[in-house]
Parts: sequence; structure tokens; C-alpha cells
Amino acid sequence: MRNTTSVRQQQPVNMAGVGFRRWAQALSKGKGSGISALLSGSRAASSASKDSLPGPYPKTPEERAAAAKKYNMRVEDYEPLPDNGEGYGDYPKLPDRSQHERDPWYQWDHPDLRRNWGEPIHWHFDMYIRNRVDTSPSPVSWSTMCKQLFGFIGFMLFMFYVGEKCPSYQPVAPKQYPFNNLYLERGGDPEKEPEDVKNYEI
Amino acid sequence: MGAHLVRRYVTETETEPDPAKKFEFDPQFGFENRKEREMIATQEQMNLAQLPIEQRDYCAHYLLKLMKCKRDNWPNFLACKHERHDWDYCEHQDYVMRMKEYERERRLQLRKKRIEAQAEAA
Repeated sequence: MRNTTSVRQQQPVNMAGVGFRRWAQALSKGKGSGISALLSGSRAASSASKDSLPGPYPKTPEERAAAAKKYNMRVEDYEPLPDNGEGYGDYPKLPDRSQHERDPWYQWDHPDLRRNWGEPIHWHFDMYIRNRVDTSPSPVSWSTMCKQLFGFIGFMLFMFYVGEKCPSYQPVAPKQYPFNNLYLERGGDPEKEPEDVKNYEI
Repeated sequence: MGAHLVRRYVTETETEPDPAKKFEFDPQFGFENRKEREMIATQEQMNLAQLPIEQRDYCAHYLLKLMKCKRDNWPNFLACKHERHDWDYCEHQDYVMRMKEYERERRLQLRKKRIEAQAEAA
């Protein structure tokens, strides 16, 4: 229905009507899907079209180039995950390094994730966040750590064994107690005769 | 400090006495008339005082005196110095006697070994 905007006259314009008309035009032309298109008249950033989702494993060099472009990677860097039936498709193989290993001082777009916008995401990115698995190198090599730990434990066990075999004691005779070595106090039978224990001065 | 351990495990393994084992020499051997140790506190007294077994030794009478003094003078915890000293000295003498017993055993073992060595050499 024709509205006041098409008429060039000095008449007051109904702005609400203008907005409504523009909305209706955008809706009829719009390429969006579903509710988001209905409400905003444009695509939501979260819905992806077919060409930005992962696809089948790339076989030709052209497919590889296209896949690299899709994932924002250089063609030299792009290496798809192996096509072994696990369903990776053309998803890139990124180094298995966690976010702990990334520079803490660089100004990342997402500082907590240490990642920039548009960077390709590792298949197991949720495992490699800074709260979870850490692949950063240990201060000493694995073999050194093993040697030190087991060396220490072995040494301690050996010393405990030596302490059992050759105990340390004071060079004194056992303490002497009266009443036949406290026979009754230690729960001896009052009916039976205890073994006679005599203690002498020295 | 520890010379006896070196003797026991390294140099004189046969003669150094082991306190865990019973000493083998007759207590009267080498003494003319050895006096027996005298126990002054009675079993009934120790039972009434509820002394733990480790404290029912030959110094128990001093301990009983100390306990009585402490109970009489509470809350003055500084009061029983004399009684405490008496008990401590008695325990010290007991420990010295233990050391002497060990040394006696050791020397008798060495003597035995010397005699055996002489008998073999002859």
C-alpha cells in the first residue's frame, strides 16, 4: 500500500509507517533462516552456512587450498587430520600444545583463552584451556625426574632395611624391675610360680 | 657416641653384647659378695598410686614422695624441687648401673675370647 514517503509534498511523514515498510521489504528480500531472520531482518553470526562448516577430507590440491582458506590458515601450514574413519573430515591438524604454552604477555584478543579472533581452533581445544590439561615442558627431563624420584625412594628403603638389620641402641643393659620383673603387674597368673629374677647393685 | 655400634657391627661382632639377648654370665662371678637391690615401695603402695608399669622400678619410692609433694602443694608447681631432684638422681644412678652392667658383660666376653684364643694357641 502506498505510503506518504513516496509523495514529495510538505506533508508530515509517519515515521512509524516508514519503519514498518522498510522492515517488510527487508523481510521479503532477506536470506536469513528461521526466527532470527524474522526478528532482526539479518543473519545471526552464530548460524553458519554450508561453506564455513568442516567438509569431507580434501583429496586434490585445490580442495586443500579451499580448506586452508576456510580455516584461516596458510596453505603451507594446513595439514588435515588423518582420514582413518574417525570422522575428522578436512579439519586441520594443529600442534597438541595447550594454552599454557602460549605467550602470557602478548595482547591476545581473548586473554583467558590466549587466542586471537579467527584463529583455527584445535580439535581438543576444550581440553587444552588453562584450567585443564597442561602440556608445557617440565623444568627437568622425564628421565631425570624418574631417576631422582626412584633414586630417593630406593635409597630411603635401603636405609630403612639397614636400620632393621643393624638397629641403633644405647650401650646399656635392659632396665631392671622388681618383683620378678613385675610378674603380677604384667598380668601373670597368681597361682603359678614366677621365674625367679634377682637384681644386684653394681 | 656410637663406638659400641661400630664394635658390634664391624670390628668385634662376636664379643660385643646385644642388649636384646640375655646376658650369659653369672651375676656373682667376679664379686665377693654382691648386694641385692632393695625395693622400698611396696606393690600395694604402687597399686594405690596407680603407677604405670614403666615407673614401677627401684626408684618408685622417690616418685611416690614427689607425687605426694606435688598434690599437697598445688598450684605451686615450683614447690617440689628437692623431691624431684631426689627422684631424678635415683633414676640417674639406675641408668649408670645399666651402663656398668653392659660394660661388665662386654669385658667378660672379651676375657672369654682371650682365654679361648690362648687355649687354641697352646
